[in-house]
Amino acid sequence: MDLWTVNTNEVSEIRKEFNASSRVSGNRNQQKLLNFLKRKMAGREDNGRWLEAHYDPLASLYTFSTSIALADLHGDGDWKLIIADLGTGAYNMKLKVYKGTTLMSENTLIDLPTGVITFHMDTTEPRVPAVAVASGSYIYIYKNLRPYFKFTLPTLEVNPAEFDAWSQARDELLDVSMLYEILDSLRQEVGECGLTTRSQRFLMCPDHPSQVAFLDQHKGFILKRQTVVTCFSTMKKSHAEDDAISCLVLGTESANIFILDPEAFTILNSMSLPSVPVFLSVSGLYDVEYRIIVACRNGHIYTLKRGTKAGRPTAELTSQPIGLLRRDKSIVVVTMDQTLHCFNNKGKRLWTQKLPAPVLCMETLEIRTLGLMLIALGMVDNRVLVYRDKHLVDTIHTEDSVTAMKYGRFGREDNTLILVLKGGGLIIKILKRTARFEIDDLNGQAQANALKLNIPKKTKLFVDQTMRERENCVLMHRVFQHDLYRLRLNTARAYVQALETSSNPVSLSQTEPLKLSAQVLGLGPTFKLRVELQNTSAASPSLQLAVIFHCDDRVYSVNKSYIQIPMLVPGIIHVAETLITCISELGISDTVRVFVVKGKASKPLLTAVINMPVAEVFMTS
Amino acid sequence: MDPLFLAISSFKRRKFEKCINICTELLSKNPYDQAVWSLKMRALTDQVWVDECDGEEEGLADVLMDDNTIASVARPGTSLRTALPSSASGGPSQAFRPSTQSGRPLSGVVRPGTQGGRPGTMDQALRTPRTAQTARPVSATSGRHVRLGTASMLPSGDGPFINLARLNVAKYATQQNIAKALFEYIYYHENDVRHALDLAAQATQAQEFKDWWWKVQLGRCYYRLGLFRDAEKQFKSAIQQEDNITTYLLLGRVYIRLDQPLAALEVYKNGLDKFPGEVTLLTAVSRIYEGLHDLIKAVKYYKDVLRYDATHVEAIACIGTNHFYSDQPEVALRFYRRLLQMGIYNSEIFNNLGLCCFYAQQYDMTLTCFERALSLATDESVADVWYNLGHIALGIGDINLAYQCFRLALVSNNDHGESYNNLGVLEYRRGNVDTARAFFMTASSLAPHMFQPHYNHAKLSHKTGDLQTSFIIVQKSLAVFPEHVDSKELLKTLEMHFHQL
Repeated sequence: MDLWTVNTNEVSEIRKEFNASSRVSGNRNQQKLLNFLKRKMAGREDNGRWLEAHYDPLASLYTFSTSIALADLHGDGDWKLIIADLGTGAYNMKLKVYKGTTLMSENTLIDLPTGVITFHMDTTEPRVPAVAVASGSYIYIYKNLRPYFKFTLPTLEVNPAEFDAWSQARDELLDVSMLYEILDSLRQEVGECGLTTRSQRFLMCPDHPSQVAFLDQHKGFILKRQTVVTCFSTMKKSHAEDDAISCLVLGTESANIFILDPEAFTILNSMSLPSVPVFLSVSGLYDVEYRIIVACRNGHIYTLKRGTKAGRPTAELTSQPIGLLRRDKSIVVVTMDQTLHCFNNKGKRLWTQKLPAPVLCMETLEIRTLGLMLIALGMVDNRVLVYRDKHLVDTIHTEDSVTAMKYGRFGREDNTLILVLKGGGLIIKILKRTARFEIDDLNGQAQANALKLNIPKKTKLFVDQTMRERENCVLMHRVFQHDLYRLRLNTARAYVQALETSSNPVSLSQTEPLKLSAQVLGLGPTFKLRVELQNTSAASPSLQLAVIFHCDDRVYSVNKSYIQIPMLVPGIIHVAETLITCISELGISDTVRVFVVKGKASKPLLTAVINMPVAEVFMTS
Repeated sequence: MDPLFLAISSFKRRKFEKCINICTELLSKNPYDQAVWSLKMRALTDQVWVDECDGEEEGLADVLMDDNTIASVARPGTSLRTALPSSASGGPSQAFRPSTQSGRPLSGVVRPGTQGGRPGTMDQALRTPRTAQTARPVSATSGRHVRLGTASMLPSGDGPFINLARLNVAKYATQQNIAKALFEYIYYHENDVRHALDLAAQATQAQEFKDWWWKVQLGRCYYRLGLFRDAEKQFKSAIQQEDNITTYLLLGRVYIRLDQPLAALEVYKNGLDKFPGEVTLLTAVSRIYEGLHDLIKAVKYYKDVLRYDATHVEAIACIGTNHFYSDQPEVALRFYRRLLQMGIYNSEIFNNLGLCCFYAQQYDMTLTCFERALSLATDESVADVWYNLGHIALGIGDINLAYQCFRLALVSNNDHGESYNNLGVLEYRRGNVDTARAFFMTASSLAPHMFQPHYNHAKLSHKTGDLQTSFIIVQKSLAVFPEHVDSKELLKTLEMHFHQL
């Protein structure tokens, strides 16, 4: 039974996979299988474009997009899935190969893998690719899944002071604490990266005995300063065919890019960058013309071409890059600030798109049959968003957030998407042949409209007036300034007068900063006058205050015309109330003045003038 | 000369006092002279006559104790009460166009009802208009009209002209020549709606329900008594008999009182079909649109008004205001200048001209206009002039001058919430956080219709770390202006603060 042919009859297909998965892990109980089926059905409902070919929540994979590869390892047309598993992150690192949904082989890795790639290194028949695993400062080459070659990165020059210190320590001219001090001061000088790994490790030893033990263990070996591979990729050497010989392109921690010859494993070309490369995108042929686009740890994108020795700065990002893709003439970068950027090759920003959640991984979906290049983004919120340019065209919901993705040919199916979940699960999805990714026109249009600002058109009148302004600018300015001086003078006069008569409801003097507000309540003829007093100073209380009401005694009679105010604590609003009755027969209204006085001073601190409303006179029939 | 002829002549020349004196003399000689009697009635009526269709303000009692409203929670757009400023209608946002105490956008003219609007609660109703310059009358319309009719109540030497209690209504109801004058006398001069209603009912019966005039008068009486459904019936029946502009206007008013602005619009539009280009109907339509916050349509109808009556002050002022707040001060300037040319010469017009000049960059005219406005200002308007001068000072960056201007605005009107708010902002800039907070609190208590003091207070509390207060107050700001972006953002930040562990 061949699992990887897609049946149009989907129900039967589920049954088949059901059998398949029970075969892979036969120890799982029935309940789990049932759940699995349910999830599968649910998954199918919310998304019409993908078939879920395999879901193994217990695959316990710990890997990243760079450590997944798809290749026809045996030349039989059945493409395998190669995953470099980080194990627990400390040990149990494995190179796993899946054939269909079965784990075909496992090779133990010595160190943490940084990437896996497959490439053709010779022209022997059948055309079987080699697998390269970058790990630490080495590249391990596997052929036919057997170790074949180990390439070691060139060593770097050791700092002479460090070298001297270690050689003296070896000859026991320096004791441990002296060595520690020298190395520590050297670290201050050149930075952590300038030291060898041995010194770094030594400086990490917490106490004296462990330092002694470390020194004893390592002092006999030659001091070497090695760099590690941070990212790597392949580049076709002289032919563009799919199965042509490829070079390896390596980015290292020492901020270099090396191009390796696939047969002799010598460094063909070495280029330098201002910062450590983290993502590579390679196009072209080594022998003809090539272009390497590198995203670096300093948030810059550099371009390298044939013949250049140093990277040319292309674009600056606002945040750290999470992924870099290159499509024929543009570069798509996703950054940590939840943004998708697109630049052209020259570094001009074409568009940016804000994303709804932080991104974990990025993968390009090249659907050849549709001639499409889509971008898939694994989000923190358990989704995979598929963008066509800046338009969202598809969403895949998963049980957990996706940490690694790979898209390509798997088994016999061209358009397969491998998803590795944060919890170690593995999902394999196949794109339906009927799937289309059309841009929802309405959405895009609405967004463009929303951005348009509503700026009123300038009238002809305005233009005419501007002409006048332009012609008489000096005169206008003079008149305005003249008027302004007069206004300032008049305002100042009025202000001083207001201060002198204290006819202000707010006092901001240093000694008594007070604020008064008064309200009239009621319908009349009896009103309630409500006066709110507030001390606006920061700390000093106000003492000996009183509120006095003043009005025409022919119109109004005031119940309490003098109210003593207790000590006013800063910030607290004190309310003084009195009743005031309109006694006029004529139904007229007048003003009532409220004064705030302090002690026996003849001048009020504050004054408020209240315009009384017309009292409702009751009919006397 | 015949004294009756002289009296008629004086009446025609609107010398009512003289006419009344002659009539009184004649009546003392012959109390049964019906011609003189009816002439005196008409003269007395015309002395106190008020056009009811236009200047009517709803009293507090009318608004709050109104049980005629059909839906207490009306659908948006169908009620004047629930009309909320929305950006959907396309007019300028609340952030630019200030609103009145009821939350309506500021109109171009002050007319009855534009200041107060319809308050939501009794507390708000009793408090805000009391402190405002134009206090809203409290009693119901019917009661107030009685009070307005004090002229008739002033004790004259020989008692009232007509003793209504002893009037034989049935007799006069049949005499059409006297009945109409008598009705108007009772209605306008005596303000005794019950007797007027009695007379009108009997008269219309005597006319076998064929006289539309009596139906309108019946409707008026019902309207004044608050029986809006009866009034509606009478007006509708009158319209069927005879098309009359007044009837349409009165029917429209009935619907407005019933809070059915769409029905009122329908009535006015029917009226406009019969009387195309009738300015009063057009104005009424645009007022309703303004009340419904549909400023674009309101301006459209005001423009129609201007086509038929180029000197319509309300229309010019409203269009000017709309242009000013939709960022075209140079056009607004044209309209206000037109008003000035038409002979309106007061503080408000110069204030508006000054503002338009400033924002249209005609700086040489700006301050001259304000100086004129200050010199013409009355006690009520001087605060607003100082407040606007404060804005000009802010515009040219003279903080000190702005500060003085706002303080002066408070001197003349200590309820000026806008000034308190702006003073608070200035104090905040000076670093006096406590004073600023006190100002914002005062501003928000004086002017609950403004979102700015609420927002400022919330922002201030947020800055000083008092998140709880900030959260409570920013919600008040959003209640006043739900679309305010800054308030929304502040609320979002605060919610995030509270969500975080």
